[in-house]
Amino acid sequence: MPKTRTLAPSSSWVELSTKPADWADAPPALLETMLSSMVLIRTFEEKVLDLAGQGLVHGPAHSAIGQEGGATGSAMAMRGSDQVNGSHRAHHQFLAKAYNFVAPDGLGHAQEFSPNIRSVSKRALSEILGLAQGYCKGRGGSMHLRWAEAGNLGTNAIVGGGVPMAAGAAWAHKRAGTGDVVFTYFGDGAVNIGSVLETMNLAAAWKLPVCFFIENNRYAVSTTVEEATAEPRLSSRGLAFGIPAWKVDGMDPLAVYLASVAATEHMRSGAGPTIIEADVYRFFHQNGPLPGSAFGYRTKEEEAHWRSRDPIDRVATEMAARQLIGDDALVALRTRAQALMDNISGELIEEHEGKRRIVPALWPSPDFRDFGIRGDLLELADARMVEQDEFAGEIVEKRFVDVIADVMDRRMAEDSRIVVMGEDVHRLKGGTNGATRGLSTAYPDRVLGTPIAENAFVGLAGGIAMDGRYLPVVEFMYPDFMWVAADQVFNQIAKARHMFGGDSEMPLVLRTKVAMGTGYGSQHSMDPAGVFATSVGWRIVAPSTPFDYVGLMNSALRCKDPVLVLEHVDLYSSKGPAPSGDLDYCIPLGKAKLLRQGTQMTVLTYLAMVRPVLEAIDRLGVEADVIDLRSLDRAGIDWKTIGPSIGRTNNVLIVEQGSIGTSYGGWLADEIQRRYFDLLDQPVQRVHGAEASPSISKVLEAAACAGPAEIEAGLRRVMADQGTPLDA
Amino acid sequence: MPALSAGMEEGTIARWLKAEGDTVEQGEIIAEVETDKAVMEFEAAQAGVLGKIVAREGATVGVNEPIAFLLAVGEQQESLIGISARAPPGPSPAVTSPAPDISKPVANGYHADRVKASPLARRIAARQGMAIAGLQGSGPNGRVVRIDVERAKTSSQTEAVATPVARAHTFTMEPAVHADEGPEGLPYRKVTHSQMRKTIARRLSDAKRTIPHFYLEAHCEIDALLDFRGALNEQANGRYKLSLNDFVIKAVALATQRVPEVNRSWTDEAMHVFDDVDIAIAVATDGGLITPVVRQADRKSLSALSTEISSLAARARAGALQPHEYQGGGITVSNLGMYGVSGFSAIINPPQSCILAVGAAERRPIVRGDACVPATVMTCTLSVDHRAIDGAVAATYLAEFKLLVEQPLQLLA
Repeated sequence: MPKTRTLAPSSSWVELSTKPADWADAPPALLETMLSSMVLIRTFEEKVLDLAGQGLVHGPAHSAIGQEGGATGSAMAMRGSDQVNGSHRAHHQFLAKAYNFVAPDGLGHAQEFSPNIRSVSKRALSEILGLAQGYCKGRGGSMHLRWAEAGNLGTNAIVGGGVPMAAGAAWAHKRAGTGDVVFTYFGDGAVNIGSVLETMNLAAAWKLPVCFFIENNRYAVSTTVEEATAEPRLSSRGLAFGIPAWKVDGMDPLAVYLASVAATEHMRSGAGPTIIEADVYRFFHQNGPLPGSAFGYRTKEEEAHWRSRDPIDRVATEMAARQLIGDDALVALRTRAQALMDNISGELIEEHEGKRRIVPALWPSPDFRDFGIRGDLLELADARMVEQDEFAGEIVEKRFVDVIADVMDRRMAEDSRIVVMGEDVHRLKGGTNGATRGLSTAYPDRVLGTPIAENAFVGLAGGIAMDGRYLPVVEFMYPDFMWVAADQVFNQIAKARHMFGGDSEMPLVLRTKVAMGTGYGSQHSMDPAGVFATSVGWRIVAPSTPFDYVGLMNSALRCKDPVLVLEHVDLYSSKGPAPSGDLDYCIPLGKAKLLRQGTQMTVLTYLAMVRPVLEAIDRLGVEADVIDLRSLDRAGIDWKTIGPSIGRTNNVLIVEQGSIGTSYGGWLADEIQRRYFDLLDQPVQRVHGAEASPSISKVLEAAACAGPAEIEAGLRRVMADQGTPLDA
Repeated sequence: MPALSAGMEEGTIARWLKAEGDTVEQGEIIAEVETDKAVMEFEAAQAGVLGKIVAREGATVGVNEPIAFLLAVGEQQESLIGISARAPPGPSPAVTSPAPDISKPVANGYHADRVKASPLARRIAARQGMAIAGLQGSGPNGRVVRIDVERAKTSSQTEAVATPVARAHTFTMEPAVHADEGPEGLPYRKVTHSQMRKTIARRLSDAKRTIPHFYLEAHCEIDALLDFRGALNEQANGRYKLSLNDFVIKAVALATQRVPEVNRSWTDEAMHVFDDVDIAIAVATDGGLITPVVRQADRKSLSALSTEISSLAARARAGALQPHEYQGGGITVSNLGMYGVSGFSAIINPPQSCILAVGAAERRPIVRGDACVPATVMTCTLSVDHRAIDGAVAATYLAEFKLLVEQPLQLLA
């Protein structure tokens, strides 16, 4: 019989509840502000449901009616420079923070609402209706509310999707030493998703001032919390990560406030993250103006029980007991709030031929559609752009991977905002390939080895980027890991600028190395360019020489958009032209390079395929324009170079290494045939890998990737199909 | 017909990308218009349905004349009854090929009667007035590709009489060629003017007629410059390869910087004085002369100039210059030295006031002291607009240029 010993978790887990003495001691102004804030939020959301019922809200209207205690109780513990983000159900959290921001001295229950309160309400309602005067110019709607000035970082329609970004903002606060904290709100449904759990771990490991605020409203749409987990006391999650946790009754706003004060104190002290679980209840269904019981997943009795615990009534009752408010004054407060919301919606809605409709002039203009998918690159306008053939200094042969480390060292020395993160980037003499050689010694607090949690750490970097004070350079050890991090890479980082109205920046650099040829098999051997090219917020560069790497990395670091910098293991160990000394020049994003001129075809290629293409055309004696694309994203395709070339050659071959499924050239071929159909003497031809992902077996891997033989076959095909076959 | 570039007076419809009845989005490209110097895309100013095309492909239309009618939402086609189309000049293409019978599918999905040809081959054949149907295709599945059309053209040119063939499709990116017979019975071919040809003709006639030209000639000794160029190119390691012309442009730019009085333009109202030294370079293309501009040439290094000039020239020959790349410029340089021309006088490129005509670098005997010695000499002739610039100023300018090419180290100063 083995012996067992009971182990205790390293962090605390407590349930906090109020006693009558706490209510008696609460400052009147605190209670008055809580009450007024919750009444405003409640009437605002009732107006949203009213409009939704009339078919005037396009898309979902996720109300939090009944849950105001969690939002208001926690917002009251924050200061203006603290920040929040939330999920698809976040009107209440957004408003609580925004009201708190515009009325830092509190809200009197008998006062007229200030113009600022009115403005917050109107801009929020406009956003939910999708109108131009909304916080995100109508782009975000109900589920993407962002008002950075007030500390609202942006709410999220992906369950748990905003949590890593909140940790990023917290990282920036910690690094800047401001003492500010971030509350990231999410529900019971989000507790089981990777983004949340990975971020809890990372935030605890790095002691970030972020509060994971769980609104446990017991239902993920209609699935109960007991169905979703064996431990429905969700604050228990903190024990696994060493995060102190509080469980409170969310229908008691004072209890939430007191827990939030304790949590905030803990975070401001530098002790790391916290968890608060607030038990709350949404009086309505997931979406729209019907109660959950109408859909049969809960009973009217249960709803009546929770309605009897209404957080607004609770505060009103406690205040009445202290003679801080009377029945008439409470009615007057509700009436004034309703009048405000009626008045606001009256400015947005009109009667037209007997039906109510949005005032047409308030819609965004349809030509606003694409604004802000990416920035305007004005940040590069004054950059010193230098190409290799006009470089004034000395060009020397250097190992590619050494130049990667050299330019990053140079930039980090010049720019203290830069922080490098990724798996093992701080060890092994510069990560697994030496690309970060020397950086962790020179900048120990700015080279962060991460846990193996790509989704969390790249999302955290996105949060840092959006904050703007620091500049994250993230490494994915292998490109295939983008699938692991897909939500943060494609839903969050790529879309944030556009989704939140087009003005917010996302200056982030993501480095990764294509590893075809190393025998790492199906899950480590992709070229990610094709997939990233579908995600329009990303810019992509793929330098084929050390010289170009320096210039393109410098441009990527200046750029205010997320930039994927592609590297290749074959290039790492190769030597190529590199600048001697000068590591400060830039190369424009969106500029290809014509490497060879000829009349028989235009070959478009990039990264490690450039050299074998040049060798193949020399070997076969083909007269071809060879264009190194260098920038691969849709906005970065250099039609000014490609178009005239096709005009001269009338034949196009796109060469890439990776397998066809995720390949890059398909969209480019499509774009070329649409632009230049009449110039083409044959369909756009392509060289790419096979259908299968590369296998570990050396022979099978070589068969799966495009190499010199496939390039030669492609060149021969293009020559044959224009009626001039090459000699065998 | 919109004014697609400054000073455009008329344009030719190169191609319609939309047919009558097609829905058109705002901003969508509906036609290609050949202007003086380029084929430009024409975007719809507003959405609607293309009701009636009144200017057919090949038709030349004045600016602000209608080319088509766009029906707004709700407007009916009937409102356009009575409006007739304007066809291109010359014999209208007769469509004689029978309607293809598409009811006979053959192996691998191709219709037996459909002629398989690449888009480029079709375009070249249409331009040449050549039928594709009879050609032997050397591409996949017997597809007719460019080389087949070119081979057919070469062989047909050896025949005494080319039979004009009916064209189902006209494409007038380049002039259409018609066989014809002159009034005196002399055979000739009538080649319709391209917009570019017409523009060159009009502008240079105006220039020669209205500008009082005077001409200054200088014989520049350039042995030192050639040595200097050779040394620079030797040290370039392939990073650049400077041509004699690159040095000439550099010298013109620096001379202009030193004698800015030549960098101006005469108008009846006032003198237009330019601050930037922008040098236009005459480039011969298949369609005619075009003058791309190197901006702020005085501030650029020789290698940067060289790269930019090659790029501009290559794109000029490809017809790919953007309007902003060939508009403006204070002074033009025209170099015919590579054709062995010893010297020549050029016509000023309005509204500029000077053009420098550069001849070949030739070994010539020159008198130094009392001895006759061989030297490499390049004759340069400056044509000057006397309305804007007087003789002494122009002479100072040319002397400055001569100094710079004869003492080339100054080009680096």
